[in-house]
Amino acid sequence: MTRIRLASVVVLATVLVLGATAAARGADGSSSLSVTVDRSQIATKLGQKFVFRSTITNSGSTAVGGLIAHLNVLSFRGNVYVDPEDWSSNRVRYLAPIPAGGSTTITWHMEAVNAGSFAVYVTVLSHELAPTAGPTVTVAITQRRTLNSGGILPLALGIPALLGLITLGLRLRRAGYFARGRSRAADVG
Amino acid sequence: MTTPAVEAHGVGKRYGSLVALADLTFAVQPGEVLGVLGPNGAGKTTAIRVLTTILPAGSGSFSVAGVPHTRPTDIRRRIGVLPESAGYPDRQQGQEYLRYHARLYGHSRASARAVARTLLEEVGLADRAGSLISTYSRGMRQRLGIARALVNDPGVVFLDEPTLGLDPAGQRQVLGNVRRIASERGAAVLLCTHLLAEVEENCSRVLILNHGRVLAEGTVAEITRRAAAPRSGRLHVAPEHVERATTVLVGSRAVEDVQRTDGRPGALTVVFASGVNLDGASMNEAVRILVEANVPLVSFELEGARLSDAFLAMTEVV
Amino acid sequence: MTPARPRKGTSWAVVFGQELRDLWMGGRGLVLSFAFSCLLSVIAFLVATNKALNFLEQREAVNLTLQVAIAVGTLLALLAAADAVSGERERGTLESLLLTPVSRFEITVGKLLATLSLWFAAFIITVPYAWFLGRGISIVGETILIGLVVGTVLAIFVASLGILISVFAASNRVSLSLGLFALLALYTPTQLPSSAQKGWAGELLLRVNPLTAGEHYVGKVIASSHSWSEDLAWLISPFVAAVVFAAAASILGARFIRLRGGVAG
Repeated sequence: MTRIRLASVVVLATVLVLGATAAARGADGSSSLSVTVDRSQIATKLGQKFVFRSTITNSGSTAVGGLIAHLNVLSFRGNVYVDPEDWSSNRVRYLAPIPAGGSTTITWHMEAVNAGSFAVYVTVLSHELAPTAGPTVTVAITQRRTLNSGGILPLALGIPALLGLITLGLRLRRAGYFARGRSRAADVG
Repeated sequence: MTTPAVEAHGVGKRYGSLVALADLTFAVQPGEVLGVLGPNGAGKTTAIRVLTTILPAGSGSFSVAGVPHTRPTDIRRRIGVLPESAGYPDRQQGQEYLRYHARLYGHSRASARAVARTLLEEVGLADRAGSLISTYSRGMRQRLGIARALVNDPGVVFLDEPTLGLDPAGQRQVLGNVRRIASERGAAVLLCTHLLAEVEENCSRVLILNHGRVLAEGTVAEITRRAAAPRSGRLHVAPEHVERATTVLVGSRAVEDVQRTDGRPGALTVVFASGVNLDGASMNEAVRILVEANVPLVSFELEGARLSDAFLAMTEVV
Repeated sequence: MTPARPRKGTSWAVVFGQELRDLWMGGRGLVLSFAFSCLLSVIAFLVATNKALNFLEQREAVNLTLQVAIAVGTLLALLAAADAVSGERERGTLESLLLTPVSRFEITVGKLLATLSLWFAAFIITVPYAWFLGRGISIVGETILIGLVVGTVLAIFVASLGILISVFAASNRVSLSLGLFALLALYTPTQLPSSAQKGWAGELLLRVNPLTAGEHYVGKVIASSHSWSEDLAWLISPFVAAVVFAAAASILGARFIRLRGGVAG
């Protein structure tokens, strides 16, 4: 039991040490991709737009083509519904081949649609290659009280009341109720 | 010779196989009131609509206010029309309605206001200028319609059944307006109506239509004469002189028969000898005989001398 | 005094002015606007008092308000347009208008422009609601601008359609019925299942139909945060429809406005 626990700790430590860089190896071991990000922490407010960049590097000896980059969003807290489509409308990018030793940078435009703490990460894959996940970008979004629901009542009541009064006033005025000394009875002949 | 205000030559209009108008030919001079008579479906309203360019003519030609039918917009600029089935916007005020139409004829805002005020006074609606048309009686609406027809100071005015649905006082008012249009403004007036009394009292000339065709055109007297020479007359004498009146009348060569009218004391029906009563000569003779016989005469009237008789005679035969 | 000939092409403005007065001073426009404001108040109150409203739902709320404004605003314009000629015909006031020297083209144009006032009134009423619902998330300006542009284009299309129907309808009742039917038919594709809407035929139907295309564009920009240019192709059919139908209404209205309704006339 102690040996199993020790092995698990070693594996976990290895993953953590590798840290901000991850690597994938192809089946023939001749190409490797890595995904890096320009920042690992973003703090913003609800509703704000933000941007980060991910760079995909081909450190292998041959060019890699057919690559697809995919953006994902998760909440660090459970019971928070996250629909990644709401955060970014362009989450899937089809990349041009990356030559050996080359790299390509993708700019991701996102919008903070929920309050809380979220993980944003990019995955790259192709037909030949298993998915390579980039490092996590932690996005902290502060709640903003954007809508004072109680304030709707004056508006919801006021506008119809104003229009109603104008309508009534105009009708009465046209019918002559406000005219002094004028008979409204129809004449004969 | 002045240019006719309205001149039509062979104007025709068909709706499919139905002939609404055929060979309509007539002329109206400025200042004249032409009564257009005809039974229902005679083509009066169609004639008005063709001459006022609402409907295109199928054949023939015409000119209105000196403008040929090929220039309908210019015709409309010079005419005023009160259609038979004219409706009025209930939610407009009378003055607002007239101002709007004045502006459609090219008046400026200020000019339209002045015209509206003047016309409403002319037709007797000045005190109701600011009231909604929905509060107007039928007579008031007709007067408003006449005012609207005058908003552009037209040279020719077309009135289609202007007294329809009005009480006697309303009719008198409207017809008074009609006479003033012709006499004071010098406009030619075409008055479409089926009320013969209106035509007799207000029109200088008459045009009788039936089944889309012109049956007769001329003055009231000309048309009446053309229809038939009157063959009888009604005399009303003092009841105590009926016997004496009958005796002296029967003795005249101009009189064929004298009969008492049932239920009316003193009333006699006199039948003239045929071929004798030209221009009412026999009636004159009968009156002369009674006067010479010292028979007090209350009233006398030729039967068949009214436009209604001529009209019925013409339209029933066709 | 015989009035001067009006300046060429200004009679439509006189017709437009009076039609506006009849619509608004006569009371019908205000009553319809009042009813519309009640509807918007209910919708705005319901979405605003949703306690679980997150940012995206707030965008959806603004989008919903704008979509309702466009739908109802264009409906009001259609109702006014469908009554414009056939209603005058039945009330007996058309003949007096046709007897003036104003061309039928100018009569049609004046009436068409006046009916658009109902859309603009609906839009103006919507602005405070959209402001309230969208102020925390900085989309008020975008919402107002998009709503004005797309809504106006759709209103022109719908009002022109209404005028065309009104010119040819045998009666006012037929005109109003046909107009409502046409509007409902145009909105029907939105009720198709989403799988049908996403197929090529469904998408073609949505793109060709000016109302669904306009609604789609507005939704993408407001609710889905797309940029203005991303879905611009969806605005082709609304613009084309507005131009074509406005021209048709003006030209055919000028040719076929008659005392009698119906196609035979």
